[in-house]
Amino acid sequence: MKRRVVITGIGCVTPLGATTDELWNGLTAGRSGIGPLSLFDAENFPVRIAAEVRDWDLWDVGENPRQWAHCPRQTTFAIGAGLKAGRSAGLESSRIDPVRLGVYLGCGEAFADFDRFTQSISRTETGSDAEREFNSTALRIFDPDAECEFEPNLPASHLAALFDAQGPNFNCIAACVSSTQALGEAARLIRRDDADVMLAGGAHSTIHPFGVTGFQRLSALSTRNDDPATAVRPFDRERDGFVIGEGAAVFVLEELEHAQRRGADIWGEVCGYGSSQDAYRVTDTHPDGRGTATAIERALFDAQLNVDDISYINAHGTGTVLNDKIETLAIKRAFGQQAYQVPISSTKSMLGHATTACGAIEAAVCLLAIKHGVAPPTINYSTPDPECDLDYIPNIAREIDCRHVLSNSIGFGGQNAALVLSRFDEASAAAAVLWAA
Amino acid sequence: MISAFDTQRRVVVTGLGVVSPLGNSADEFWQALIEGRSGVTAEESSSGEATCVGAARKFEGKIDDFGPLEKDLKKTIRKALKLMNRETQMGVAAAQQALHDSQLLSVGYEPERVGVCFGAGNVSMMPQDFEAGVRACSDAEHGFDFHRWGTEGLEQVAPLWLLKCLPNMPACYMAIYNDLRGPNNSITQREAAANLSVAEACYAIQEGSADAMVTGATGTTILPFNRLHAQLEGQVAAPVQNPETICRPFDRHRQGAVIAEGAAALVLEEYEAALDRGATIYGEILGVGSSCVVSPGRVVGRRQALANAIGAALRKAHLSADDIGHIHAHGLSTHRSDIEEAAAIRQVFGDRTSKLPLVAAKSNTGNAGAGSGALELVASLLALRHGRLFPVLNYEEPDPQCPVAPVRSEDCAPGDSFVNLSIVAQGQASCLAVGKCA
Repeated sequence: MKRRVVITGIGCVTPLGATTDELWNGLTAGRSGIGPLSLFDAENFPVRIAAEVRDWDLWDVGENPRQWAHCPRQTTFAIGAGLKAGRSAGLESSRIDPVRLGVYLGCGEAFADFDRFTQSISRTETGSDAEREFNSTALRIFDPDAECEFEPNLPASHLAALFDAQGPNFNCIAACVSSTQALGEAARLIRRDDADVMLAGGAHSTIHPFGVTGFQRLSALSTRNDDPATAVRPFDRERDGFVIGEGAAVFVLEELEHAQRRGADIWGEVCGYGSSQDAYRVTDTHPDGRGTATAIERALFDAQLNVDDISYINAHGTGTVLNDKIETLAIKRAFGQQAYQVPISSTKSMLGHATTACGAIEAAVCLLAIKHGVAPPTINYSTPDPECDLDYIPNIAREIDCRHVLSNSIGFGGQNAALVLSRFDEASAAAAVLWAA
Repeated sequence: MISAFDTQRRVVVTGLGVVSPLGNSADEFWQALIEGRSGVTAEESSSGEATCVGAARKFEGKIDDFGPLEKDLKKTIRKALKLMNRETQMGVAAAQQALHDSQLLSVGYEPERVGVCFGAGNVSMMPQDFEAGVRACSDAEHGFDFHRWGTEGLEQVAPLWLLKCLPNMPACYMAIYNDLRGPNNSITQREAAANLSVAEACYAIQEGSADAMVTGATGTTILPFNRLHAQLEGQVAAPVQNPETICRPFDRHRQGAVIAEGAAALVLEEYEAALDRGATIYGEILGVGSSCVVSPGRVVGRRQALANAIGAALRKAHLSADDIGHIHAHGLSTHRSDIEEAAAIRQVFGDRTSKLPLVAAKSNTGNAGAGSGALELVASLLALRHGRLFPVLNYEEPDPQCPVAPVRSEDCAPGDSFVNLSIVAQGQASCLAVGKCA
């Protein structure tokens, strides 16, 4: 029998707040989390806005920030969201077999210390031995504790330590679909009986000189520096790029009967997951949206649902000219005529683009939509684009009875992933148990 | 119609590809292993201090290193080489070899039914990518001036630079060059990544979301930041006169790990389909286990993590410890890691440990980060195929603290199944159980 996977805890750290309530209140009020970039002096940068996590540190979860001071910002987000998720699921007071509790994160690449990196380069003479010389300078000036924390397996190791989670331990990086895939694959590990409980999600911050340099060179960023709150305009004709965001969301995924036995509160169910590749170009998505459509179709097939079962789509909706146009095409391709009926929104209009963490944060948004029966809006939507002609829930949150929702993610390199999250249905759970008996 | 939850589907390996310090093909790699050759050499420098490295010297990042390619693809890949960092190049080259070896793409799988799950490490920043920008913002007196970066430095960085830094690029290029539109993921769990990637790829086939997958891993501990991290973690052996003798897993006189680079790729395929098309079958993926043990105070429990991983893999594979024919150890060649690994093996295999053949290809190659786990997996698959194991290089004097049985002779049998072990300094372990396909 198919092992069902439910969600028994959520933790988040976002530009709109570090609790699900704050996040939800901000989103449904249509509040923007975007403001002037403050994490470094960006005065002379072409882009000077970002969606930053403000006024938050690890004291929020009872950890002394000084003990984690050598960690990159995103690692502290992962720890914050992970501890919140675990506590909301009551993991610390439940006796869970350590080898049946695992971690699967989609924490993004961390970058070196920009100041020390550029210093090392400026102190190195060009020539045949440049790499060697760079190495000896770097060895002298980099902070060893901080450097080793940049390795991409570290956040998953820290979460395992905090929860004594001795089960499967993964981190994936698949650009902006990373944490969507982390949730999907973690659910699969539970279905395959490799674990009973998984902490899954992602964390990322690219609000540093490397990140702004990289995205700016890719011409991906909005340059509306003078009006940060209206800078991200997904599906609007005047959209001009995304705004870099940051944050984390971590879920506790759990096998249904395991959750029921320990009397855990159930937020919802992971019913479907799909991953695909455009196999087109590393820089652009396929012009027909074929890969995105395939991921959506797979997720629906996995959930054994039809397109008219989906009550809401949380789109990737970055606010770049290309993404929003092609994502619209892909939704039409996967949903047919139903594409014009299903309400869609991009919460990146308020949260910015948290890169590898966006999928997990948006999955949290989907669960909140299911819980409250409300879908958050796409803000800054004022001028319709003939190429984006679907219902994007413009500007005002809408009451929708959400039974099954779809969270869609698209990433550089041609990556696509989609999740179907559903309201937990006691009746169908009872039926499944009877059927199994 | 394939049921989404048909776990009876068996998954076999039908193609192999290798880029390593021992050569650019599975054959060269195997030949060097059985001849007991080392790929570790001294890295020359004008300062006179010679670091020992397992560099994939025959891999020059040129198009001819990518194995046989049809004309158009050759042109496409050649054009993109400058957009890839070295790990991506090595990974893609290994994958092209594996696909060629398997002949998978000539049998008409639908593009949506073939995917990729590949392991990769932290992608090193390359100083040269920032050199022009940094120089533009520096003067002799004050060095680098950050306030000039936004206006004068930033625009000197190549437009696609950011993409080079993403560890998912190997998997993406493999998909693009071969039209593989199925599931696509990249696992970044350092040395443990290869086994985890193979496991995830295997599950994609078993659950029916793909019929074939390209998997494996690419990695380096040589490039600037990977080297820096290896050095800062304090596991690297000091330079010696005879570089080929420096990597000596489980030997009493081992002194540390050797930095290296490499990649290996495997094609996984559903068993019945592979059988029907008469594919070469190297082995069957039987089970995987993964664990992480770090106790409060951040004390890493390598022994327990490995023991958990081996135990889980054997359970998944429905095998007992007695069924295993040989162990491919992580064999890092550091004092502590080898002791803990030996203890983990002893914990699972008990008294049988002293008779259970153990191999460790790191003795020939050094530690290629994520790539090592894949190279070692390929080495043991080739051992199954050739019906013989290869010796652990430089294993001369047993260490009483490592009560395992490294292979020393040339006529040791591999048995019908093996476990491939990997462990990371931060406590993550993975184990893959693989068998001959009966």
